[in-house]
Amino acid sequence: MIGVTSMGQDDGKNQGVELGEFLDFYLLDSQEQIERLGAGLLQLEKEGGNIGLINDLFRSAHSLKGASGTMGFTPIVEITHAAEDLLDRLRQGKMEVSLEMIDLLLAVTDRVKAMLEQVEKRQPITHGSEDLVNSMRALLNGEKPPATESTAAVLSHEEETPVDFVPIDFRLTQQESEKVDEAHNMGHGVYQIEVTLDPNTLMKAVRAVMSTQRLEGMGKVIKLIPSVEELEAGQANSFSILLVSDEPADEIKKEVLEITDITNVTVFPYLTAEPPSKEQVPAPKEVAAPSVSEPPKQTSTVKSPPAAAVTGTASGEGSTQVHTIRVDTVRMDNLINLVGEMVITRTRLVQIGLDLKAQYSTDSMVNNLNEANVYLGRLMNDLQESVMRLRMVAIGTVFNRFPRLVRDLAKKTGKEIDLVLKGEDTELDKTVVEVIGDPLMHLIRNSVDHGIESPEERRAAGKSAHGTVTLDAYHDGNHIAILISDDGGGLDLDKIKNKAISKGLIGEREELSDNDIANLIFLPGFSTADKVTDISGRGVGMDVVKKALNNLGGMVDIATRQGKGTTFTIRLPLTLAIIQALLVEVKEEIYAVPLSSVLETLLVNRSEIKTVGGLQMVQLRGNTLPLISLQEKFGLPDSEIPKDEVFVVVVGFGDKALGLIVDELRGQQEVVIKSLGDFLNNLPGIAGATILGDGKVTLILDIGSLLQDVLVTRKI
Amino acid sequence: MAEEQLVTFSLGSEEFAVDIMRVQEIIRIPPITRVPNAPEYIEGVINLRGNVIPVVSLATRFGMIRTEETDLSRIIVLQVQSKVFGIRVDAVTEVLHLDSESIEPPPPIAVGVDSQFIRGVGKTGERLLILLELDQIMGGD
Repeated sequence: MIGVTSMGQDDGKNQGVELGEFLDFYLLDSQEQIERLGAGLLQLEKEGGNIGLINDLFRSAHSLKGASGTMGFTPIVEITHAAEDLLDRLRQGKMEVSLEMIDLLLAVTDRVKAMLEQVEKRQPITHGSEDLVNSMRALLNGEKPPATESTAAVLSHEEETPVDFVPIDFRLTQQESEKVDEAHNMGHGVYQIEVTLDPNTLMKAVRAVMSTQRLEGMGKVIKLIPSVEELEAGQANSFSILLVSDEPADEIKKEVLEITDITNVTVFPYLTAEPPSKEQVPAPKEVAAPSVSEPPKQTSTVKSPPAAAVTGTASGEGSTQVHTIRVDTVRMDNLINLVGEMVITRTRLVQIGLDLKAQYSTDSMVNNLNEANVYLGRLMNDLQESVMRLRMVAIGTVFNRFPRLVRDLAKKTGKEIDLVLKGEDTELDKTVVEVIGDPLMHLIRNSVDHGIESPEERRAAGKSAHGTVTLDAYHDGNHIAILISDDGGGLDLDKIKNKAISKGLIGEREELSDNDIANLIFLPGFSTADKVTDISGRGVGMDVVKKALNNLGGMVDIATRQGKGTTFTIRLPLTLAIIQALLVEVKEEIYAVPLSSVLETLLVNRSEIKTVGGLQMVQLRGNTLPLISLQEKFGLPDSEIPKDEVFVVVVGFGDKALGLIVDELRGQQEVVIKSLGDFLNNLPGIAGATILGDGKVTLILDIGSLLQDVLVTRKI
Repeated sequence: MAEEQLVTFSLGSEEFAVDIMRVQEIIRIPPITRVPNAPEYIEGVINLRGNVIPVVSLATRFGMIRTEETDLSRIIVLQVQSKVFGIRVDAVTEVLHLDSESIEPPPPIAVGVDSQFIRGVGKTGERLLILLELDQIMGGD
């Protein structure tokens, strides 16, 4: 196994590792670090000088700096370096946490994020770092000039620990041994260099590559163990280098210590006088990878096949089991699409099986086919469920960006607000997670700006000056519920009602429950804010939020109590890819109703249907159920001979229900949701399309928007 | 000399042409699913190998009398600005080359078709071809 070798006069750049390969890992890790830093800073602001937390922050900044340095992103290094200095001072208790400092450090995370974005786009970093670096320096200079030695923390580990020389088994090939012997004979120095890394170091293999690169400038690197490949695969925190050099040991040590995250370096003269046989005794030094027997004649330029590297580390003690893998989302989407196509094809098979059965009911082969179909169906269900589970993401990934938002908004409005997050572990489909961010943000902005009162008002109302906004998520059947509640003043229902009347949205004498009035704010063009503020009320009304959620097959409800606060409840389907649907027929057209929103189906006599205020109603177990005729809603021709009885599909979320009048029920089926494309994606009442077993396109009803239509736009 | 390659088709009594580079494929008319509340010129949606794409009735779009479906009726699937949609035509006639010089700007009062949908009029022999402005057909207005 020759990871890093450069023998003789050849180019010496045979490391087999391109830094570019690490760029994606670097980006992932750096983005994680910066998120952690951002979240930690907010916590720090709340909890003050908690040493554990400060240490965590320091470590994040440190590894960010180190990794960026390795990749050569100097602007990020400069800025994180200054941040690290600041955090170091905190850590040593030489400075106090101040609001100014938190603000500055948060600005740093924003800037680094912007820089990382440029890196991600493979653009040069154009964002400057000087202004922030200078501000941080100025903050530091409160007592003394900032430490100029970036590696101060690292170098503190430098104190000599006398370690006895223990020869390491470098697993030298014959050729390499000859080189070492030759060097000895020529009077060159041969060194065994043992390098220890900070256990938290990311991309350890890169440190090894860098070390060998640096050492190449001082002599010839004969061997690196474990090899780069082994280091990449394993979790070893140390590696050893065999170097031929005429430089003194101290210089060599200094050179290697320049690299970040290297905590300790020991340099020993390598004694080849010892016969190799003595090294058969297992070396006491822990080496991550077990020895792999080398073919004696292997040349330096030929690399062992990668398979050997895998088996080598897999059998070794140093190998770690990988529990998670990162997969490109494009690949996942492909998988989902394929499963979707399979679901459609299986539906066709089932249809063919049923047709055959109708024709050749006695033939046992037909029954065999149908049995196989049933089994295939079960397998498909399992496959689909497994694939869907792959795409489940914790909603915390969306929630995490809000603490910062609320903090900034609170500062801007001069309010004191705590954001409480609950149910961050609740999982839902990636497709949903990707799109709920904006509607949620809008509702939170609304709560902060319009919901929570100023500290003075709160005190006057006998509440604590501190307002609370709570974000909660939980599973509710096939849906996820997300609650955004504030303990603010509640909606001014009278004001809303007057506004709605003045805009002609409702009649003056209309009797509306408090809830109905509150829901009026979702009407297009409705905004009660007297003054347009920077935070909400940019002309984007709540109707946009409602529409965005409806597009996702969800809906939003509102509950408010004067003086106590307001709660928005969002209900969303768990997935947007494959759903169970009830197929209904209306005037020979077939529509799919998401089964998750179907409560029950009824057969209703026409005489029971009453028309109240232009809206059809039916009494159901003592409650009034509003009805919508799909035939009217979708502009289909009236049937010549009205039937005495009609089917009603009762749909709803939570306590909201609505009956859809249809001609026939056509059974339930799994359908793959397809988009109608850009041209048609905002049609009222239609959520998307699907393809049935016969290849025909069928439209999927948007229950959320149908419900909201009935609840909100009551015509007089 | 610049030359354009066009796919020509007939609709009602007129002959039209579209740039061949925009044509993805030409298919027979599959079952079309009507889409309620969609613009009137959207005839519906079809299943094109697992993708749902809208179909435009050019007759409705151009304010012409709608024609009956025959064996020759086709849907020309077009890709315009990365959007895919179909146009329903009475028959696809041919693929031909036309000199850019023989294409004239649309006359102010076009042959019964709103001039915003017309890029120009091409002459080939005795035939007049109406070159369609595809960017306008979906959306626009």
